[in-house]
Amino acid sequence: MTDKKTILIIDDEPDTFTYFSTLLEDNGYNTIGAENGDEGLERVKDSTPDLITMDITMPKMSGVKAYRTLKEGDDTKSIPIIIITGVSDDFRDFISSRKQIPAPDGYLSKPIDEQEFLTLVGKLTSGS
Amino acid sequence: MELPYKQYFESMPCYLTVQDKNLRVIEANRWFKEDFGEIEGRYCYQVYKNRSDKCEVCPVERTFRDGQRHSSEEHVKCLDGTEVSVIVYTTPIYNDEGEITAVMEMSTDITEIKALQKQLRESRQLYQTLFEEVPCFISIQDRDLRIIHANRLHKEAFGTFLGCKCYEVYKHRTEECYPCTVRQTFEDGKVYSHEEVVTLRGGETMNVLVHTAPIRDATGEISSVVEMTSDITQIRELQDKLTSIGLLISSISHGIKGLLNGLNGGIYLVNNGMQKDNRDRLEKGWEIVLRNVSRIRSMVLDILYYAKDREPMLEMISIDELASEVCSIIRPKAEEQKIDFICQVEEGIGEFEVDKQAIRAMLVNLLENSVDACRVDKKKTSHQVRFEIKSDLNDIVLIAEDNGIGMEQETCDKAFSLFFSSKGNEGTGLGLFIANKIATTHKGSIHLESGVNKGSIFTVKIPRLNITLIESKPEHKK
Repeated sequence: MTDKKTILIIDDEPDTFTYFSTLLEDNGYNTIGAENGDEGLERVKDSTPDLITMDITMPKMSGVKAYRTLKEGDDTKSIPIIIITGVSDDFRDFISSRKQIPAPDGYLSKPIDEQEFLTLVGKLTSGS
Repeated sequence: MELPYKQYFESMPCYLTVQDKNLRVIEANRWFKEDFGEIEGRYCYQVYKNRSDKCEVCPVERTFRDGQRHSSEEHVKCLDGTEVSVIVYTTPIYNDEGEITAVMEMSTDITEIKALQKQLRESRQLYQTLFEEVPCFISIQDRDLRIIHANRLHKEAFGTFLGCKCYEVYKHRTEECYPCTVRQTFEDGKVYSHEEVVTLRGGETMNVLVHTAPIRDATGEISSVVEMTSDITQIRELQDKLTSIGLLISSISHGIKGLLNGLNGGIYLVNNGMQKDNRDRLEKGWEIVLRNVSRIRSMVLDILYYAKDREPMLEMISIDELASEVCSIIRPKAEEQKIDFICQVEEGIGEFEVDKQAIRAMLVNLLENSVDACRVDKKKTSHQVRFEIKSDLNDIVLIAEDNGIGMEQETCDKAFSLFFSSKGNEGTGLGLFIANKIATTHKGSIHLESGVNKGSIFTVKIPRLNITLIESKPEHKK
């Protein structure tokens, strides 16, 4: 029996997944991975994670579409999402200004600051 | 001469003389005497031109001969040396028997008119030269959009035949363009400018900036429109280049952020592995560090290759040696990822004439892509990258094949485009663009065949001897 929070990491780059999963597991979280938006949505169906971290530029379904699908789904819209990307910060304003979907719960630029990342993850999972 | 007529004669605002058959001046008015002196016993040609013989063509003589009035333009010289241009009219004077006894000659000073005519001629010449030689294409069009005048550059570039419609000449069209700024200028008399792409007589296209302005006649009505067109192709190319540089910077920044994140991940695992004395974690972290450092290195080399428009340095090189060098770079990367790497080189394949550094960079790039395509593929249990070199008539065929994630058709179509990357944060969109550039610089080709989850095959064909390239670039002849 465990009360560990589960975090879904959606990123096409295996090194990033290894990094984030190791960091999060070292700090007491469970992690699952998906390498694109499509696969990420499948994982969410299988097991509802407590938080999702998501890249934007990925093959197959992009982060933007996956983010929108998750935030529009009744079963998934309450899952907090942190967008972690290397695209310019203009994107943060773009994704935060859409009328149809809420702004992301967190937004971090690559390369991440580990402490900032862990603090944000802790904050967003503390209520669940 | 009777008194009132004598007064009229004297007061006439021109030079008036009466001459006999020998061209001797027998009467002259006051103005004539003031400017040319006394006439006593002197002949016309002596007074007017300071000549000893009569002129070759003389209107007075002609009037004596045929009794008709004649005219001519002459240059005469006054007493003070001033040269005066005159228009001369002659008329016969008859006696009671109807015989011509004398000829009256009236010379009007047209020096100012002549000077104005000269100025007009020079000015016309100046504007003609300007019109012809100005470094832009000028045409003058009538209300039917027919070109009624065109300058030299216009004729050279578009092969203008006067009377042709503007859109036929510029665009090889059969119908008027919409909107047409010449038409608009005819309608409202305003100056318009807009950008166009036009087609030259040889079929090449040119980006141009077009200005139109009305030409009005004496009544103020617009009689025609002048269209001035400047070639801005170079400016457009420069703009494209600047846009490319902007995209490049954004793409590089995006790529580097991703790689730094990976590098941080590797460093985290190395540090953490050391702290916890966990050798597996340390090794895994170190692999990540090495991989990302290597990617940064490739990215920097790609950028350098893109930034520098490198001329190919052709040399005959051993294909076996090239293959061996490429394999020594790729094999460790493949083995690290547990990917089976196969290198097949046709026996006795010999040499080919290429820029060794460029071809090696291209092959390493293609094969690194193959390794990456296998590394990120989680659907298969075993992966393979195959590198093959064989000959095909006059070409050398280089193949990089993998059974990795593969690509959709849309991705394949864009694969060689600048800044297109299917690798998310990892790619800059430069690698395959440069690979294609290297192949085409060698007068070769690159072909991609791919299927999702099946893998990809890159086939590069390079001529064994680069004859065309040598002929067109003699400075690189070896």
